[in-house]
Amino acid sequence: MMSEPKQERRHFLPIYTNAFDRVFISIVVLVALHLLWMRFLEAFLPLEVATIISIILGFLIIRYG
Amino acid sequence: MRRTRQIIDYALTYGLWIVVAAITLLPVWWMIVVSARSRVELFNAPDLIIRSFYVQNYTDVINNRTFQGYMINSIIISTANAVLVTVLALMATYALSRYKLVGSDNIFFTTLTQRMAPPAAFLLPLFLLFTQLFAVGEGRSRWDLYDSHLGLILLYCVFNLPFAIWLLKGIIDAIPPELDEAAFVDGANTFHVITRIILPLAAPGLAVTLILSWIFAWNEYLFAATLTAFEARTITTGLAEFVTVTGTNWGAMAAVSTLTLIPSVIVVIFAQRYIIAGLTFGAVKD
Amino acid sequence: MRRNRVGWLLLSPTLIILFLVGIVPFIYVLYVGFFEWNLFSSDRAMNFVGVNNYRRLVFDERFLDALWVTIRFTFFAVISQLVIGFFLAQSLLKNFPGKVLFRIVHTLPLMIAPISIGAIWRLLTIPGFGPIPFLLQNWFNIDYNIGRNADQAFLTIILMDIWHWTPFVTLTLLAGLSALPAEPREAAMVDGANSWQIFRYVTLPLMRPIILTVLFIRIMDALRTVDEINMLSNGGGPGTATRTLGIHIFRVVFPQTDYGYGSAMSLLTLYFTIVICWLLFVSLTQLRGSRGNDGGER
Repeated sequence: MMSEPKQERRHFLPIYTNAFDRVFISIVVLVALHLLWMRFLEAFLPLEVATIISIILGFLIIRYG
Repeated sequence: MRRTRQIIDYALTYGLWIVVAAITLLPVWWMIVVSARSRVELFNAPDLIIRSFYVQNYTDVINNRTFQGYMINSIIISTANAVLVTVLALMATYALSRYKLVGSDNIFFTTLTQRMAPPAAFLLPLFLLFTQLFAVGEGRSRWDLYDSHLGLILLYCVFNLPFAIWLLKGIIDAIPPELDEAAFVDGANTFHVITRIILPLAAPGLAVTLILSWIFAWNEYLFAATLTAFEARTITTGLAEFVTVTGTNWGAMAAVSTLTLIPSVIVVIFAQRYIIAGLTFGAVKD
Repeated sequence: MRRNRVGWLLLSPTLIILFLVGIVPFIYVLYVGFFEWNLFSSDRAMNFVGVNNYRRLVFDERFLDALWVTIRFTFFAVISQLVIGFFLAQSLLKNFPGKVLFRIVHTLPLMIAPISIGAIWRLLTIPGFGPIPFLLQNWFNIDYNIGRNADQAFLTIILMDIWHWTPFVTLTLLAGLSALPAEPREAAMVDGANSWQIFRYVTLPLMRPIILTVLFIRIMDALRTVDEINMLSNGGGPGTATRTLGIHIFRVVFPQTDYGYGSAMSLLTLYFTIVICWLLFVSLTQLRGSRGNDGGER
């Protein structure tokens, strides 16, 4: 792999990202998931499920994305 | 054959641009026509010729004390903002250009985000801030940024500074650093370098920054309408008030709008070449 | 080391202002957004309600409606401006006498105060004495009334935005087009390509970065538009046909003094804008060729 400036890399996310980008993406995903959850799924599943899912997702994105 | 083609080509280009110019100018001209009509003439069939100029629309507005206040406020706020923005941007851009500052790229990007953020999202936060957080004292001696010139001047910096920094960056970068190195060797301090070397060399760019910041502040409406009540209202809010309060006085409204337009026209004529560089944050040079 | 301190000193006033007036509001609003707080209600205290404000928001039809209007408006306005602007920029490439004058006239709308533009268009379209309804009625027998007809009102705000911002697209693309190297086009012409092929396979790929830059700036600006629409349609009327998100906040949410809920909405508006801004920025920087292997430029 070429070493890009600021340790940019590209794994499963479709773009080159550095650590800051991945944190940013995780937060965006977290907010989006919560909003959609409140609109469509909260009647069946409590909001905490969304929190847990997005934290796991955020970890995956930051660690492996 | 080739010649006829060329003539047709010319004719098409001219035709196109005459139409474009007409589409641009006719709405503005119509506004001036309305501003020259009295209330009685207003509902005549639309035509583009001014038969008699009803000056009273203008004199009424200009002699109105409230409106004079708005006008003066607008001038004070735009001028103070433009000067402040230009001075601060010069300092900031010099720092960003000449010093290796940790995280300066991020500062650059953050300023861009602030320029792009929707003003409507700022309304409530700033209102709360100006009335609740940035307030000193209680009761009658209470002082806050709401409805003050200073509030608007500082606020417009948030939108004008990023643009000014982006615009000036290219200009300051183009001034060879050897010049200020030489001055430093001669014992000058940073203040002298900026005022004696950078300032004269960057003067045209600074003038453009000043003019465009001025016009952006002059044109702003949304914040002026929500963050002021009486003391610091500007001409653009006055224009909107004409519609809501006096409702039907279209002639006076058109007159105010025409007056608001004057600085814009002057800027377009004299700074035309730099407007695009200004609006694209120096990304596109004309 | 010592000199860096001077650098930060020079930068500090800018950073302080941007921080105090640009960032502190949002930290504050992030906090207020979790409370129920209305200064003019009987209970003036702040009550912690968790994410309830956001829960209310995702079911708020008027908010979602305003969001949808904003997106539709941005889409149609920016696409039309790009097409018209490209066409006009092409025609400005050759020299003809009077070009400077036409350019000055064309630039004029860019510097007019948005609120004045709203006023100008209001005067044009007002039923009773505006020329547009008059002409449409007399020539085509169309009943044009933006105070009543929602579709006509929506079309009018798009036309107004085209009138206002097409010059920006034209002049920016013109700057890009005049900076293009002549060789690829000449080579294609020697190879016998017609003008459409030259445009499609030579000019357009070379212009991609600048087109993306224009799109970026235009989309962000169109999403922010408040003043002129507010002035033209008197607060987003008829009904909610032209009520963009900005106008919704300005005319409906702000006067309600429901600070907790309004804070949540402001923050969400900022969220949408940042996400869109970031997506565009990524496509701008990553498509511009940090990778040379996708055949974009050769």
